[in-house]
Amino acid sequence: MMRETDTMTDSKNTLTRRAFVRGAAGAMAGLTFVPGRAFGANERLNIAAIGVGGMGAANLNACTAENIVALCDVDSEYGGKTFKKFPQAKTYLDYRDMLDKEGKNIDAVIIATPDHTHATIGMECIRRGKHVYLQKPLAHSIFEVRMLTEAARKHKVQSQMGNQGHSSDAIRMLYEWIQDGAIGPVREVYAWSDRPVGGDPWSDFPIMARPKETPAVPQSLDWDRWLGPAAYRPYHPIYHPMSWRGFWDFGTGALGDMGCHILDPAFWVLNLGHPERVEAVTTHYIPEVAAETYPRASVVRYEFPARGDMPPVKLTWFDGRLLPPRPKALEPGRKLPGNGALLVGDKGTIMHGSHGAGGVRIIPETQMKAYNRPAQSLPRVKDGSGGHERDWIRACKDGKPASSSFEYGGPLTEMVLLGVLAMRLKDTMLEWDPVNMKVTNCDEADKYIRPVFREGWTL
Amino acid sequence: MKDKTLSRRDFMGAAAAIGAFTVVPRHVLGGAGHTPPSEKINIAGVGIGGQGGSDLRQLESQNIVALCDVDWRHAARCFDRYPNAKKYKDFREMLDKEDKNIDGVVVATPDHLHAIISMAAIKRGKHVYCEKPLTHTVREAKLLAEAAREAGVATQMGNQGQASEQTRLLCETIWDGAIGQVREVHIWTDRPLNGINKWYWPQGVDRPQGQDPIPDTLDWDLWIGPAPMRPYVGKRTYNPFVWRGWWDFGTGALGDIGCHSMDAVFRALKLGYPTSVEACCTLVNDETYPVASRVTYEFPARGDLAPVTLHWYDGGMKPPRPAELEDGRMWDTNGKLYIGDKGKIIDYRLIPEPRQREYGKPPQKVERSPGHYNEWVIAFKGGKPAGSNFPDHAGLLAQVVLMGNIALRPALKNKMLSTKLYFDAEQFKFTNLPEANQYLTKEYREGWTL
Repeated sequence: MMRETDTMTDSKNTLTRRAFVRGAAGAMAGLTFVPGRAFGANERLNIAAIGVGGMGAANLNACTAENIVALCDVDSEYGGKTFKKFPQAKTYLDYRDMLDKEGKNIDAVIIATPDHTHATIGMECIRRGKHVYLQKPLAHSIFEVRMLTEAARKHKVQSQMGNQGHSSDAIRMLYEWIQDGAIGPVREVYAWSDRPVGGDPWSDFPIMARPKETPAVPQSLDWDRWLGPAAYRPYHPIYHPMSWRGFWDFGTGALGDMGCHILDPAFWVLNLGHPERVEAVTTHYIPEVAAETYPRASVVRYEFPARGDMPPVKLTWFDGRLLPPRPKALEPGRKLPGNGALLVGDKGTIMHGSHGAGGVRIIPETQMKAYNRPAQSLPRVKDGSGGHERDWIRACKDGKPASSSFEYGGPLTEMVLLGVLAMRLKDTMLEWDPVNMKVTNCDEADKYIRPVFREGWTL
Repeated sequence: MKDKTLSRRDFMGAAAAIGAFTVVPRHVLGGAGHTPPSEKINIAGVGIGGQGGSDLRQLESQNIVALCDVDWRHAARCFDRYPNAKKYKDFREMLDKEDKNIDGVVVATPDHLHAIISMAAIKRGKHVYCEKPLTHTVREAKLLAEAAREAGVATQMGNQGQASEQTRLLCETIWDGAIGQVREVHIWTDRPLNGINKWYWPQGVDRPQGQDPIPDTLDWDLWIGPAPMRPYVGKRTYNPFVWRGWWDFGTGALGDIGCHSMDAVFRALKLGYPTSVEACCTLVNDETYPVASRVTYEFPARGDLAPVTLHWYDGGMKPPRPAELEDGRMWDTNGKLYIGDKGKIIDYRLIPEPRQREYGKPPQKVERSPGHYNEWVIAFKGGKPAGSNFPDHAGLLAQVVLMGNIALRPALKNKMLSTKLYFDAEQFKFTNLPEANQYLTKEYREGWTL
C-alpha cells in the first residue's frame, strides 16, 4: 500500500514559483485565488495534506516530486511519522488554521481524513480555490457529495477522488470490450467485498453497540477536532485510527469503503448514472448494535433504468463474505476473488477484482482466449493506478480534468451512498429522485441524506 | 422381517390396549375426538420440555404413558399435565422398562439425539414421531429412513405444514401448469436473529470459557449424549432451545426451518437428491453456525420437469423483490418464491394478486389431510402412511436440507470459493471434494451408537 519515496522536494524551485504566485492572482487574497493558471514544465505544485497517518501518507508518497509544504493531522502521534518524513513541511493540528496561515503557499490539498470530515474540509479547500485530491468515498452523505461536486465545478478547481483503480489500464480495457460488445448488452452486475470481515486490520470493522467506557483522550489527539461535524461522543480507542469505518457516524461501511473501487468499473463502462430504486437486507438484529455500526453482512440491490441503447441493469452488492451464486460460466476450481464483480451480458460474463477491474477476464477462459480484442481506443493514464495522484497533479498543471474528477467521482459516490442509505433503512424499497435528492417513499431517509452537523460546523 | 413385524404389531396392539385400559385415567381422555380406550395407542415422549410437550398435547386422544427428559425442571410442566405417565431421564431405561407398554415414541430432543433415540425405538418396533430436522447428519437421515422401511413402523416427521391445505394448493397450482415449468425457487427466513426474542438463538459466536454448576435437575451427560463432552454452561448457553446454533447439537437456521419450508417445494416439484450444493455465509467458526447464509442447490430434470435451482437464505437475507409484487405489499422476512416460465408464486398464491383471483382454485388432486398428528395415528393403526413418513419423504428431505450445512463448514469455506459440492446419490458421496464426505456423518462419543 505504501509507495516508494521519490526524491525530496527542492526548496529553490518552490521559492521561485511562490514569488510568481504571490505576484499574480494569489496576491488578490486567498479566497479569490484563481486556479487553472499555467504552470511551467518544471514547475512544482505546492501541496498540503490533511489526515496524513493512513492513506494520506501513501498518497503523499506518490507526490514527492512536488513540494509538500504543509501537513495537518488531529493526531500528532499518528500523523507524526509523516511529519518526520517531510521535515520542511509546516505541521498543523487544525486544517482551518493551516489554510488561514499557509493559504497563499498552497496550490493543492490531499485530504485523507475519516469519511465524516471529508466534506467540511474538502469544501473549505475548494472555496479557497485549492485543487483537491479527496479520498474515496467522496463524502459521508449524499448531500455532501452533491455540494462538493457542484463546488468543484463552480470554483474550477482540479479534483480527484482517491479511487486509484479508475486510472488503471484494466478499467479502460474493460470499457473497450464493453463498447465492442464483447458480452453483449449487460443486464446484471454482481459485486462483493469480504469486508467488514476481510481478515486484516484494514478490512475488519467492529460490529458492536456504542462503547460505554470513557478512557482518557491520548495527549497527542485532539478529539473534538477529530469529531468535527459529527455529533459529540466521548473518546474511545475503537474509533481512531482504524475502526471508524464501521460506525455509521464516521464511516460508510464496507460498501462505502470498497464500493468506490469495486463498483467503479460497472458504473463507468455501463454509464449507470442514478439508480431508480434500491433495497437492502442486512444481518442487523440487535437495536443497539444496529444503531451504532454497519452490519456484519448486507446485500444491496440497485435498479438502473435503460441508458440510451443500453438495457436496464440490476446491480447487487454483497459484503461480509456473502457472495452471488457461483456463475455457471466459471470453471470448477477457479476461485472467486475476495473482492470483485461480475458483469453478466447476453453473450457472456466478465469477472474482475477490485481497484479498477483488476484481473479483468471474460469467463470461461476459453471464451476469453477466443475473443478478438478491439484495438485500444482510450488513452491510458501514465503509470495506471499507481499514477492516480500524479494524474491529478498533471490536471492541476495543464487544466485538463483528472481521471476521477468529482464530475465522475461524485455521482459514483452518490450511487454507493444510496446503497448505504438502503442498508440503514433495510427491508425497504427506496424510490430515488436524484434531482431533488429525495427518497420519494420514505421521509425518514432525509436525515441520512443530509445529516445535521454539530453546532459550529457548516458545509 | 416385515411379516414378523406386523404380527408383532398385532400382538403389541393387543397388549397395549390392555395396558392402556389399566394405566390411563379417564380424566386425561375425552374431548370431541374421544375414542374408546381399546383403540388407543400408548405413546411415550422423549424430550418434552419444549416442542415435545406441544406434540403430546396434539396426541392426547391417545394414551400418554411414559415421559422422558434429561432436564426435569424444564420438563415439569409436561410431567404435571400427565401425572400418571411414568417419568424417566434416560430414554434407554424407559424403552427397557416400558417396552411392553409403549407403542409409539415422540422424539423432540435436541437434534444431535434424534437419530439415536428414533433408531432405538424403531429397532424395538415402535412407531416414531420425530421432530424436524429428522436427524443431525445426512447419513443418519438415510439410515433412519431405511430402518423405518425395514421395520414397517409408522413414522412421521414434525413438519406440520406438510399436512396443510396450503401445501396441497401449491402442489395443485404448480401441477396445473399455472406458472409453467418452475426452474428457480427461493426460500428465506429471518432466523436465527441472535436472540432478539426468546424464540431465536445465537449463531456466529464462540464457545464460552469456564463452566457452571450443573443443576440437580439436569443430567448433563445424557443431554450431551453422543456429542463430544463439554463443560456445562448455564445462562441459556446450550439449554434449553438455544442448542440450535451449535454445530455439535443443532442444525442452525437451515435445519430448523428448512424441513418446514422445503417440504412443499419437494412435493410440488417432485425433487430428489441435488446434483450440487454451494453456499456462502458470514464468518463461521467450528462452534456455531454463521449469522447469515445463502445455500444454493441444483436439482436435475425429473421426467418432464425442468432442472431446478433452489436458493436458501437465512439471517435476514432475502431474494430480490419480484417486480410482480404490488407496490406497498409486504415483502416478508420469511417466505417462498417460485419462479416459473409463465408466472410466480409467493408461498402458495400467484402474484400479483389479480392473477391469483383470475386463476381461482386448481383442480383438487391431492387428498386432504386428517391432520398432521392424526396421520401418524392412522398409520399407526394400519392405515395410510403419514405424509412425512421417513422412508418415502422425510428421510430424503432431511438429507437434502442437512447437505446445505456441509457447504457451510468452516474447514471447507476456502475450497468452496473455487467450486460447488457435487453429490453422487448412488455412491452417497461428494465426488469433487473428498474432505467434505466426513461431514455426511459424525463420530459418536464412547458408549453411544446408532
